[in-house]
Amino acid sequence: MLYVKELYKSYEAGKNKYQVLKGIDFHVAKGEFVAVMGPSGSGKTTLLNCISCYIPFDRGNIRLGGMELAGMNEEALARVRNTKIGFVFQDFMLLDGLNIRENILVPRIVQGEVGAEAQRLADQLAAMFGIGHILEKYPAEISGGEKQRAAVARSLINNPLIILADEPTGNLDSKSGRAVIETFNNAKEQMNATIFMVTHDSFAASFCDRVILLKDGTIYRQLEKEESRSGFQDQLLDVLKEMSR
Amino acid sequence: MSQTINMKQMEQKLQKADRKQSRLYLFCNFTALAIISAYSALMLSPTVQRVFPEGGDSRKQMYMIFVMTLAGCVVFTIYALGLFFRHKSGQLGILMAIGTSRRRLAPGLFREVMLLSGMSAIAGTIAGFPFVWIIWHGFRLILVDSSDMALTFDFRCLFISLLFMLLVVGFACLTAWRYLKKTNIMEVIREEHINEPVKEPGRWCGPVGFLLILAGAVLGYGAPWAFQAWFHMYSPPWAGVFYAPVFPGLYMVMLHTVVHGWRRHKRNPYKNIISRSMMKFQGRQTVNNLLVVTLLIAGGCFAVFYLPANGVSMMMRYASQPYDYFYKYQADQDVPERDEVEALGKEYGLTFQEWGECVYVSLGIGGSTDIEEEGMRFRVEYVPMLNEARVLSEDAYRTLTGQEADVEPGTYLSVTNQEETSLSVNQSAREFTNMVTRTQLDTEFAGYLHYDLLVDDMYCCVLDNDDYDRIAEGLTDEWKGRIVQFNVDGKDSYAFAKAFYNRFVASFDETCERHRHYDRVSKIRYDEAGEEYWADTFDAATVSYENSDSFMFRQFWVYQPDFRILDQNDYLRNMSVLFMMFLFIFLVCLVTAQVVCYTRCQSIALNNRYVFDDLRKLGASPAFLDKEVRSQCANVFRVPSLVGMSGMFLLFTMILYANDGRITRAEWITMGVCLAVLALIGVMIYGVYRGSVRAIKGRLGI
Repeated sequence: MLYVKELYKSYEAGKNKYQVLKGIDFHVAKGEFVAVMGPSGSGKTTLLNCISCYIPFDRGNIRLGGMELAGMNEEALARVRNTKIGFVFQDFMLLDGLNIRENILVPRIVQGEVGAEAQRLADQLAAMFGIGHILEKYPAEISGGEKQRAAVARSLINNPLIILADEPTGNLDSKSGRAVIETFNNAKEQMNATIFMVTHDSFAASFCDRVILLKDGTIYRQLEKEESRSGFQDQLLDVLKEMSR
Repeated sequence: MSQTINMKQMEQKLQKADRKQSRLYLFCNFTALAIISAYSALMLSPTVQRVFPEGGDSRKQMYMIFVMTLAGCVVFTIYALGLFFRHKSGQLGILMAIGTSRRRLAPGLFREVMLLSGMSAIAGTIAGFPFVWIIWHGFRLILVDSSDMALTFDFRCLFISLLFMLLVVGFACLTAWRYLKKTNIMEVIREEHINEPVKEPGRWCGPVGFLLILAGAVLGYGAPWAFQAWFHMYSPPWAGVFYAPVFPGLYMVMLHTVVHGWRRHKRNPYKNIISRSMMKFQGRQTVNNLLVVTLLIAGGCFAVFYLPANGVSMMMRYASQPYDYFYKYQADQDVPERDEVEALGKEYGLTFQEWGECVYVSLGIGGSTDIEEEGMRFRVEYVPMLNEARVLSEDAYRTLTGQEADVEPGTYLSVTNQEETSLSVNQSAREFTNMVTRTQLDTEFAGYLHYDLLVDDMYCCVLDNDDYDRIAEGLTDEWKGRIVQFNVDGKDSYAFAKAFYNRFVASFDETCERHRHYDRVSKIRYDEAGEEYWADTFDAATVSYENSDSFMFRQFWVYQPDFRILDQNDYLRNMSVLFMMFLFIFLVCLVTAQVVCYTRCQSIALNNRYVFDDLRKLGASPAFLDKEVRSQCANVFRVPSLVGMSGMFLLFTMILYANDGRITRAEWITMGVCLAVLALIGVMIYGVYRGSVRAIKGRLGI
C-alpha cells in the first residue's frame, strides 16, 4: 500500500543545515494500523508531511497504491491528497463556517457537486463514529473529541487508500482520545482502512498493529503487536525508555 | 438534508462565516479610500487651489501632508489585508491539505478578494465626497461663511482615488496570488501563528535614534542657510536629503520602544515581560506601524499649528494697532477726503478723533540682491534701482506717528515694527531714485524707526526734510501718495467700516489694481533691460476689484487698508479656506493615525489570543489580563503620539526662532496655544486608546 524507501529530508535555518530524515525505509500493508513514535526532533512529523506531500523531500521514493509521489506536479499531488489520502490533524482543522455534515463532505465538495448519495455516506460515517446527532452543529458548538471524530469521518469520505493522522489525540483528554482511537479501530475493522499515525501517546500506539520508532531521523526499531494491548504498551514504554538513554 | 452543495456554495458559506474578519478589512479599505478621496477632492478643489498661493509654503505643506496621509493609508490597507489573509490562510491551508488544487481555489478566492476590496474601495471613494461636503458645510454653518468658501470640485481628483483604488485591488489580488503560490502547505496552515520578530538591539538604540532625529532636523533645516552662506548657491532640490537621518532615527526610537520600552524596572525586570514579548514577536510590523503613526501625528500637528501660528499674531496685531483706521493711497486716486469720511461716519452715528495724515513719495531704492547664475549659484550684487520704497520726510513721519525722527542729511532711517522682526527693511541702499526725473540722492543707512502700521511688503524709509524735497521734485501723482489714520470716538461700527471699505476700493482706478508683490521699480528695470518681469506672466500675482471681498484680494492688494473692526470680524471669514483645509488635514491625519493604532491593537490581540488563553489557564486574574491589554495598547498609542507631537513642536519652535533669530511675544503666546492644542489632541488620542482597550477586551473575553 505505502512504500517509503531511502527517504532523506533536510531543513536549512540560516547558515545551518539540519538533516531530519536520514534514509527511512518501511512499508505499510493494506488494512494495517501503524504508528510512528519517537522523541521530539526525531523526524516523525517531517516524515508524515513528506508522505502527505505537504513538503518536498530531498531524496528517496514514496509509493502509494503503486503511484510514485516524487516528481508529481502540484495538480496531480492535490488529486492524490484528495482521493487517495485521508487526513486527521492534531488540531482537527475543521472549517468553522461549515456544519459537521458539510465538514465531513468537504473532500467530496472540492471534487464537484455533492448529491444525496455522498450525504448519505457522510451520515453513515457519522453514525458509525457516534456523532450522528451533531451533524447540523458547527465546530464551535461541539467538544474536541467530537471534532476529531468528525475529522476521522471526513478522512474516510473519499474511501482513501490510507489515513494519515498527526497526533490525533494530542489535543484531547484521555477519554476523548480513547474514543478517537476506537474510531480508527472501527474504520480499520469495518472498512478495512489503512491508518498511519504519528503519536507521542503510548496508550494510543498500543492499539496499533505495528509501531515504528524513530530516533535522530532513522528507524530505531519496529515493534509488532503480538500480545495484549497493555502488554504491547509496556513493551513500547520500555523501548522508549531505552531510546532516551 | 438532501440538497446538493458545490464548491461555490461552500465558499459562499465560508465567506458568510468570515463576516467579522471581512468587516475589519472592509472598514479599513473604506476608510482609507474615503480619506484619500476626500483629501484629494478638497486639495484639488478650485476653492482651495484659488486660495493657496501657487508655489507657496502652505500649498507645499498641503501636498507634503497628503503624501504622508497616502503613505499611512497604504500601510493600513496593506495591514488590514494582511490580517484578513492571516485568517483566510487557515481556511486555504485546510482546503489545500485535504486535496483542493490551487487552480480550484483561485476563482473563489479572487472573486472574494476583488469583491471585498473593489466594493469597499468604490464605496469609500464615493463616500469621500459627501464626507467633504458635510465637514465643509458644517464648518460654514458653525464657524464662518463666505463667498470664498463655496465648495466646488474638480473631478480630476477622481484620478488619484482611482489610482489608489487600483492599488488596493491590485495589491489584494497580488496577496491572494502569493498565498496560492506557496508550495509549502504547512506554511499556509501555520500562517496565522507566524511571528515576525525583530533583531534585538542594545539599549543604546533609542537614545541614538533621538540624536539622529535631532541631527536630521538641524542639518535639514540648516542646509539651505549653509548653501547660501558657504557656497553662494540656492539650496538644490536634493538638499532635503539632509533630513534623512530623521527616518532611521525614528525607526530606532520605535524599535527601542517595541523591544525594550522606555521604563527600566530595576526592582522587577519581569514586570512587562509578557506585553513586551507579545510586541516583540510581531516586531517588524509593529515598528513600521508606529513609524507611520508618528509621521501622521506629526503631519497633523504641523497642519493644526498653522491656525494658532497665523491667528495669534494677527489678533495681537489688531489689538495693538494704535489707530482704528489706517490707509494709504496714490495721490492720483479719487479717495474720499476727510469731510466725506466724516459724513459717512455720521450716517452710522460715529465721530472721529486723532485724525492724522501725511504725504509720502514712492522712489526707487538701491540694495544688494542675489543675481542668479548657472547651476543654482548666485552672486550678491548691488543694484541702484532695486525696488520701490515708500519714503516720508522727517516732518511727515513726526506728524503721523508723533515720534521724533532726526535724520541726518545724506542718510535714511528704515521703518520697522516694534519687535524688529519685519523682513521689509533695507540697510544697504546707497541711493534713492526719482523714477520720473531719474535724479538720484546718495544716501546711507542710519538706523531704525518703529511704527507697525507702516510695515508691509514695501520698504518704508524716512529722509531728512531737505533731502526729501530735493528728491521728490518733479514726481508725478502716480509716484506720490497719502497716508491717513484716525480713531473712532466711542464704539466702532462694523457696518461703517464695511461701507467705507467698499467706497475706498471703488475709488481706485485700474492702475492701482496691483498685487502687493508687484514692484513698479523692478518692472521698469526689467523693461529697460529688455527682460520679462516675472509678475507680468504669473497669474497668481494679480488681483481684481471684482473680488474685493475675497481672501485673495484682501491679502494681496497693494493698497489694502487696515480697518481694525473689519479685519478682526472678517479674519476668520477671510482665512476660512486656509483654516478649513488645515483643520481638515489635521483631522484626516489624526483619524488615519488612530485607525492604524486601533487596527494594530486589534491584531496584537488577535495574534496573541492564545497567549491570553494560556495566561488565563495558568491562573492569571482578569485584573492582570486587563493590565497586559492596557500595556500593549499604551505602547502602540503613547510613544508615536509623544514623539510625533513633541517632534513637531520642537520643529515648529525652530521655525519660529529661525524666522528672525528669536522668539517674539506673539510667538511665545502661539507656542502656548499650540501646547494647549497638543493637550487636546492627547485627550482625543486617549479616548481612542480607551476604545481600543474596550474592544480588545471584548474580543478576548476579559
